[in-house]
Amino acid sequence: MKLFLYSIALLTVGLTLAQGQSIRLGYYGETVTHYGLKVAYERPVWGHVNVRNQATKQFLIAPSLAAYRHPKNHIGFILSPELTYRRVGRRGGLFDLCVAPAYFRYFLDGTTYQAKADGDFERVRLAGGSAFMPTVSVGVGRDLSVKHHLPLSWYTRLNLMQQRPYNTGELKRFALEAGVILNQ
Amino acid sequence: MKTIYILLSFCLLLSLLACGDRDVVKPTEQTTLFLRNKGADMPIWISGNSQSNKIVLFVHGGPGDCAMCYRYYLKGIEKDAMVAYWDQRVAGSSSGKVSESTLRYTQFGEDMELVVKLLKKQYPQAKIYLLGHSFGVELVWQFLTTGNNQQQVSGAMVVNGMYSYYNWLYNVREWALREARLKKNTEAETYLLANPVTPENTATIDWEGIYRWMYELDGNPVSLFDNNKYVINYAFNSPNTALAQFTHGKAYMYYGEVDSRTFEKGPLLKNIHIPVALFWGVKDGVVPMEVGRATKPLLTNARVTEVDFADSWHEPFVTETDKFTQAVKSFVR
Repeated sequence: MKLFLYSIALLTVGLTLAQGQSIRLGYYGETVTHYGLKVAYERPVWGHVNVRNQATKQFLIAPSLAAYRHPKNHIGFILSPELTYRRVGRRGGLFDLCVAPAYFRYFLDGTTYQAKADGDFERVRLAGGSAFMPTVSVGVGRDLSVKHHLPLSWYTRLNLMQQRPYNTGELKRFALEAGVILNQ
Repeated sequence: MKTIYILLSFCLLLSLLACGDRDVVKPTEQTTLFLRNKGADMPIWISGNSQSNKIVLFVHGGPGDCAMCYRYYLKGIEKDAMVAYWDQRVAGSSSGKVSESTLRYTQFGEDMELVVKLLKKQYPQAKIYLLGHSFGVELVWQFLTTGNNQQQVSGAMVVNGMYSYYNWLYNVREWALREARLKKNTEAETYLLANPVTPENTATIDWEGIYRWMYELDGNPVSLFDNNKYVINYAFNSPNTALAQFTHGKAYMYYGEVDSRTFEKGPLLKNIHIPVALFWGVKDGVVPMEVGRATKPLLTNARVTEVDFADSWHEPFVTETDKFTQAVKSFVR
């Protein structure tokens, strides 16, 4: 819990200090019934425009926070410093490739009891756990500033993750993400 | 007059507030509990008729299978009783950080004792009935033959599960051999004849070879994933994490190679005094009918009910859902 709060504080400070270029906001979830939200603050660290085909290539650092609910299972928070490669084509087509060493904190979505030595049970408040969750994401979308002069892009991403530890080993997971990128 | 109206309104408001949620008996229970024990966070979803004061604790198979994923087929029971769907450690939606060394019968037995105890604490008026399937039957026997556990429950229903590893593998081979001859599969027959099962070789015999042939010979051709409605329900209406289900199997190496091979509860079944029901899919090759037939005479001190499911293999609740639901309701009535 302490680690989680520190992480939130770190993200908040990071967002305040960063000279951000865009905010990414989207739906985040395994399916429509495991619903959540994700917000990221994107800041380019390197950019290049291809003179021949006018495609823009960028590397972005994006601290992000996702929160979702998997009903009757858990409520999860994922904090990631994402490193994204983004290519925006001449006509606005957007391609993202992202890696992130994420921190995952979850809380069980139910009342948790632990057996005591005397045979009775004690309630465990805010029961859950923490895990390392390296993530690879691939996304596509469209930058609407190219053709429509709107400071906006839409995007969709597939996130592939590995939760470790999970039971006796690790768990491979996926999540879908879809939303908008608000350019500043 | 106005003062009286105000006072009456105030009293009415007070009485309404006094009848908070805690005083209302909910006709339908929908509760999620988690039991934390030895590194595992195991969910128990309780769902169904709370006024019945009966709980059917579903002890799923596997090992490493899931409970709630069968709710699609078991929810008919919920009209007449509450069903407690418990995901065992390193199974279904269970989470935590668990040592592989805890995946032993004794630990599963301890977990089950705690689950029963927790249910009794939450629902002190309710009678608890066990409904074990496949590997879950092994846990039911483990639980009932330990200490005075059987006093905690009112009955046990066992569905296509074994009480003895030797008896089980012997009957799987017999079943496969019979089918191989019927289907004139000489390759299978040759293999099975070359690998007889004896009490002396159960610790070393290639059980997977026998098991594989049993499957090849249609020991259980039913796949849950052939039912589109089930798949949709699993994906969108189940608390299971989509890929978790497929990660559990590899943790059970010790179970497959060592622990299960020493499982023998036959001599202890005579100590069971609570009512027992034997529900069996007759066409099953995974745990053949003969295992059920051999179980009954060992339960010398229990009232035993038998229900055969003639059109079923390993999961009669999938293939003959209505008849299965009725059999459970009759047993707990």
